[in-house]
Amino acid sequence: MPITDATLIQNPLRRPAILLRRYIIYTVVVAIILIMSLHLLVYGTDWSRMGSPSEIADIAISLLPNLEFIPKIMTPLVDTALMAFWGTLLAVVMSVPVSYLAASTTTPSMIFTFPIGRGLIVLSRSTHEIIFALIFVATLGLGPLPGILALACRSVGFMSKTTAEAMENVDRGPVEAIASTGAGTTARFLFGVVPQVFPIFLGNAIFAFDANVRRAAILGMVGAGGIGLHFSEQMRSYNYGNAGACVLAVVVLVIVGEIISNRIRTKLISG
Amino acid sequence: MALLEINDLRKTFPTGEKALNGIDLSLDKREIVALLGLSGSGKSTLLRCINRLVDPDSGRVVLDSTDITSLGKHDLRKARIQMGMIFQEFNLVNRLTVIENVLSGTLGVSSLWRAITRSFKKEDIQRAIELCSRVGIADHITKRADQLSGGQRQRVGIARALMQNPILLLVDEPTSSLDPKIGAEVMELVCEVAEERQIPVLFSVHDLSIARNYSHRIIGLQQGEKVFDEQTGALDGKSIEHIYGFAPNGSPVSAAQ
Repeated sequence: MPITDATLIQNPLRRPAILLRRYIIYTVVVAIILIMSLHLLVYGTDWSRMGSPSEIADIAISLLPNLEFIPKIMTPLVDTALMAFWGTLLAVVMSVPVSYLAASTTTPSMIFTFPIGRGLIVLSRSTHEIIFALIFVATLGLGPLPGILALACRSVGFMSKTTAEAMENVDRGPVEAIASTGAGTTARFLFGVVPQVFPIFLGNAIFAFDANVRRAAILGMVGAGGIGLHFSEQMRSYNYGNAGACVLAVVVLVIVGEIISNRIRTKLISG
Repeated sequence: MALLEINDLRKTFPTGEKALNGIDLSLDKREIVALLGLSGSGKSTLLRCINRLVDPDSGRVVLDSTDITSLGKHDLRKARIQMGMIFQEFNLVNRLTVIENVLSGTLGVSSLWRAITRSFKKEDIQRAIELCSRVGIADHITKRADQLSGGQRQRVGIARALMQNPILLLVDEPTSSLDPKIGAEVMELVCEVAEERQIPVLFSVHDLSIARNYSHRIIGLQQGEKVFDEQTGALDGKSIEHIYGFAPNGSPVSAAQ
């Protein structure tokens, strides 16, 4: 018999008792966050120090890019892009052994090698690239090399994590079929696993490059070469127009990087 | 002497599920045998225990006087080369071309270097091309495997198995992912190539008519035990009911009622 009364069809998860309990939980969580945040308040903030609208406009105008400075920063700008490129490539290379250790399906031992792989990933992902850069600048001196190493250390975690997950999620069927031909472990990996993982791997490498272009632009500020170095120099010497030109150059570089990586990714997916 | 001899094969999965409960069977040269049974009756596990994709708990599998169950890793690989396997879900490597999928049948004998560089011997490539035209996919050799239809994909699977020059074909539900017409064509092809090469076929199937039409002998499995082992002609309504545990529609039993 068809149900004619709509009230008869009731979502068991939307019963009043359950709804009430849910909203009480929401309220309590929000209240806790608000109460804890009271601690962050600074009483007596002097808002006038932000400046009047005309003062803000003056500062903004002084930051207008000095276009004559642009040719002088083309080289550091290219350096920045190259730092991102080499840092990403290094991360990609390092992520192969790390993801091998960190994927539960490939790791030689769940007790010894698996925690090593996962630990490296956590270390890499939880440490900011500036920290890595400071360490490498202190040990290797100024220049692009510490920047490249910092970017590599920062990206290897992301690359390894996504690759390890892709390896854990491969379709076991083809791997089984390759095994049934009498293939050894390596051949099984190369023919059964790699073709399935490779497109994901490549897509993530491009994504990492994209992020590294943005990071590379900042790293110069701690002495790791590239456009960031020039930006901080110009800021320190109060050449706001030149600093503005650096910002503009970085914006253009990031946009170009994003366009290129999007193009390649679209090709990858359709191809 | 039989080509394949299985004695008291047992397998219990870690989940406690008893997949095989003491299976004995022998397979003669050039014999086409159907493993008939419902889902979960142990057909797939039995096939996988023969080439040890699944390791049996106890019992013996002897292929051409080699005891498969006692082999070490290296010798097992050698033994697997002799057994071509065809899968229900085809199990092709989707992002590789058809010809590369067929050539992956030589991975058991290829050097590691050839596997890394994906460079195969000229004569292997020649043989792979010939096999592709034998199974009717000559026009698709350079296409990616995932661009093919189901029937074509299963043909690639057959060519890959034949690439091993097997002395036995293990075929796991070859038609279950295909429509009845394509499935029949695929089964036809499997029987033809087995006849040409004079090798036996052991195939699992739950479809009664496929088992009837293409096998010389039928082995019925029920909950990991062999409940029937006769020439195909001897399969009557009563034995079907015995294997399945009920009388399926259209079987002689229900038709008689």
